[in-house]
Amino acid sequence: MEQAQINQVEQEPETDKEQIPEDGVVIRIEHLKKSFGENQVLKDINLELHKGENIVVLGRSGQGKSVTIQCIAGLLEPDEGKLEVLGKEISTLNEDELKELRTKIGFLFQSGALYDSMTVRENLEFPLTRVLQIKDKEELTKRVEDALDSVGLKDAIDKYPSDLSGGMRKRVGLARTLILRPQIMLYDEPTTGLDPITAREISELIVTLQEKYETSAIIITHDMPCARITADRIVVMNDGEYIATGTYDELAKSPDELINNFFK
Amino acid sequence: MAAVGEQISFATQFGRNIFRNGFEWNEFLHQCYVVGVRSISLVAISGFIIGFVLTLQTQPTMKQFGAESFVPGMVAISIVREIGPMIIALICTGKIASSIGAELGSMKVTEQIDAMEVSSANPIQYLVVTRILACTLMVPLLTVMADALAFVGGWLGVNTQGHVSATLFFRKAFAALEFSDMIPAVVKTFFFGFAIGFVGCYKGYHASRGTESVGLAANSAVVTASLWIILLDAVAVQITNLLYY
Ligand SMILES: Nc1ncnc2c1ncn2[C@@H]1O[C@H](COP(=O)(O)OP(=O)(O)O)[C@@H](O)[C@H]1O
Ligand SMILES: [Mg+2]
Repeated sequence: MEQAQINQVEQEPETDKEQIPEDGVVIRIEHLKKSFGENQVLKDINLELHKGENIVVLGRSGQGKSVTIQCIAGLLEPDEGKLEVLGKEISTLNEDELKELRTKIGFLFQSGALYDSMTVRENLEFPLTRVLQIKDKEELTKRVEDALDSVGLKDAIDKYPSDLSGGMRKRVGLARTLILRPQIMLYDEPTTGLDPITAREISELIVTLQEKYETSAIIITHDMPCARITADRIVVMNDGEYIATGTYDELAKSPDELINNFFK
Repeated sequence: MAAVGEQISFATQFGRNIFRNGFEWNEFLHQCYVVGVRSISLVAISGFIIGFVLTLQTQPTMKQFGAESFVPGMVAISIVREIGPMIIALICTGKIASSIGAELGSMKVTEQIDAMEVSSANPIQYLVVTRILACTLMVPLLTVMADALAFVGGWLGVNTQGHVSATLFFRKAFAALEFSDMIPAVVKTFFFGFAIGFVGCYKGYHASRGTESVGLAANSAVVTASLWIILLDAVAVQITNLLYY
């Protein structure tokens, strides 16, 4: 049953559309709050992510950027507020519904989060066999090779994560995430810790894959070249709230010092 | 108190995911190998030495009472009923619970568990169920093996003081053992194995952020699992006494 669905998606990507609410908003966040004990991290987050849009979230470390997208992926439970993903309010979903929804969300972790004990191939096969329940060896190999090809890492297929450089790990992480054909991508600092050249390659890769797979994305970063390459729209986060939104050029001209600081 | 609730919910998740949409056979067998086969030498040597030392220590006393011929039986009973299961469980705690705690802890810290979860794969089924079941199965097997080697150690121990044939030693040892000694002793090792796997997984899975928490997870896995084993043993003794005496 599940497999039939996936095949269908592959043949006609148009069928995705039925998932998307009529107004084209794939993520809607209103007055989202989240605290850890005394530490109030998210105070009042409001955001709409539209189909096909890339939003970059800028903000200094420890502002709660990661917490926000962890709420979106259902890894953390918000305390208050509305959080709709693909038209579904996350907090009302049961375990199976959340699982179903998560197959449509891709999450690239800051570290890449590759499974250390598995080769690159096994890393990529893991979601295919566990989530899509694909058992056919040839089908698996084909999909894994395709995915690695699209991030330019076909040669690394039998390596272990510990043998890969930071940039390669990010690429493999990206391939592993995209192999499930998500509609929404969440990137947690995709370029942090990489040299400027690799960082630019990753940013460009994000844009390429975005176009190829027609995803919408939230990209967390404080790397300005990355923001310039990937963003359709930028929001600036400070002290648990989004304080400004606009295009790269608009924000670059902002008189507000807090915002301006990023663009220096 | 919050921790108790968390452990109960963790146990429930374990239970619900055992056979949910299939079972991770490959990973389970791999864990049996990691938990069982890789502990064989450690457990074998320990078992052997326990038997050897126990005999050496009891022999002089027994000799004073002229009860030397009871040494094999006494050694057999103490090893099978109590010393074997207990010491092997504690040794396995040091080796297995700590490594599971550290492994899952580092997977948690490096977001690998989160990654499994957001991709809709089932980390509880893949990581936790396989490890807990592997421990539950392998710890009893290791204990039985250690008991057997402790007998061999015991026989050698007896022979430091004069010749006793292997057949005679083992006949006396087994004659002293009753079925009612074996069953509860083996049954409790399953619980010990479960405790080792469960505590290791729980501590690793709930490691907090930051690299130092990996060491903490491993450490508190050993401490907590050891405590569990001692408590379980006390309970097991009570139950056995109620049932048989
Ligand atoms: N699981 C958690 N438990 C407790 N505190 C957390 C947790 N996740 C994040 N925090 C806290 O929330 C704040 C924001 O963290 P984070 O979202 O990671 O920041 P960043 O904007 O750099 O991504 C930090 O003070 C952090 O300590
Ligand atoms: Mg972060």
